[in-house]
Amino acid sequence: MLCEETYFNHFYLEHVQHASNFAYYKCGDKDHALDLVQDAFSKIWENCSKIDFTKAKTYLFTTVNNLFLNNVKHNKVVLEYAKAAPYIDKTNESPEYLLEEEEFKKKLQNAISLLTDAQREVFLLNRIDGKKYREIAELLDVSQKAVEKRMSGALKILREHIENI
Amino acid sequence: MKNENNILKWLNNELSEEEVKDLKQSENLETLEKIAFYASQMQAPKMDAQQALDAFKERNLSKKETKVIPLNFKTFMRVAAVLVVMLASSYFLFFNNAKSFETHIAQTQNVTLPDASEVILNAQSTLKYNKKTWKDTRDLELSGEAFFKVSKGQKFTVNTPVGTVQVLGTQFNVKERPNYFEVQCYEGLVAVTYNNKTLKLSKGKSFRVLNETIQVVEDFNAENPSWLQAESSFDKIPLSQVVSELERQYDLNVDYEAVDGSQLFTGAFTHSDKNIALQSITIPLKLSYKIEGRNVTLYNYGK
Repeated sequence: MLCEETYFNHFYLEHVQHASNFAYYKCGDKDHALDLVQDAFSKIWENCSKIDFTKAKTYLFTTVNNLFLNNVKHNKVVLEYAKAAPYIDKTNESPEYLLEEEEFKKKLQNAISLLTDAQREVFLLNRIDGKKYREIAELLDVSQKAVEKRMSGALKILREHIENI
Repeated sequence: MKNENNILKWLNNELSEEEVKDLKQSENLETLEKIAFYASQMQAPKMDAQQALDAFKERNLSKKETKVIPLNFKTFMRVAAVLVVMLASSYFLFFNNAKSFETHIAQTQNVTLPDASEVILNAQSTLKYNKKTWKDTRDLELSGEAFFKVSKGQKFTVNTPVGTVQVLGTQFNVKERPNYFEVQCYEGLVAVTYNNKTLKLSKGKSFRVLNETIQVVEDFNAENPSWLQAESSFDKIPLSQVVSELERQYDLNVDYEAVDGSQLFTGAFTHSDKNIALQSITIPLKLSYKIEGRNVTLYNYGK
């Protein structure tokens, strides 16, 4: 089924964004992330007859993961905020508050780059891609408990870092 | 961080608003809330999926080796076919409980059933029963002619395409041939069901259906059907039926178009010599016959 071009294209379009997000959480470089994802898709295409199409998504993510591990190049992962995103207190428009929040966002950006790769990918998959722990566990091929542990660890580090500075 | 589990659940959208409120009351979660909130506003660089796919196609189309699938599929089908055959044959080998006996032209066969009842099959007949259910229901399927010596026990049923014969323990003969159905009781009591009507036959009585009409048949005295002694005997039976029986006992092809097939024949023919058998049929009816190999022609005497 994966070997059918139309099906494969559909699969590609459906997952390329999430897969490159995932790759980006790991390497922090857009072009590099895309390369990882394209390589992973190549692997799937080449082995299309051997891969169970129900497992293809997990295969994609684990391949990105493995390709990333093979690669030494590490960038600091800094994620940009969406433009025109609201502040947490939408009614407060005092300049002090806005400044405070911007300050907070910067700290958060920095703190995220301090997480371990494993913590960061779980945290960002949950926050940015809105994935449940169960889905993340499936994608990374680890237990849900492991995902929860990484999430806890991430929260702890982020919090400590932000509150201490 | 207390309430670790609840915090995790909260970020996984598994808590109700109520529970979130409780959670926030029990612990100062302001920083965490902000973390969760602003982190959700972050973005990974946006992809142009279609463009990425096009780029992917360019670098990759040369690498693909999709030809593997049809081959693989064939192998799969082959394996599947072999498996099916193996399973089916093992099913028939190990689980097939249907026992079947068949006789050909000029053959008889003795069959002993699991309950020691005996069945003797006349020529060109088949008998089937299920070994597994035999203990509970003594059901047989017969097409052709057979003589039964049933040992005492539960109901013993012989199903034929035309009618059913039921007994408790007795000896009887069933003859089911094209346009012909006859049950003869040699001992005990037999119940014959024909066209939803049941009739009881005691010793020496016969039930005969010829061309779908029930015939009145005189009582007989024989202990066994004559065919057990290698002889077929008839009591006012149309010549056509006699000829059919002859064809079953000798591998012959009898042409009786020149004579009246409906004339009744009373008598017998032996199974051991076809000339004597033919004479036994033709002489009483004032007929003559010619044999050429397997072909026999009957014609009127003197014409």
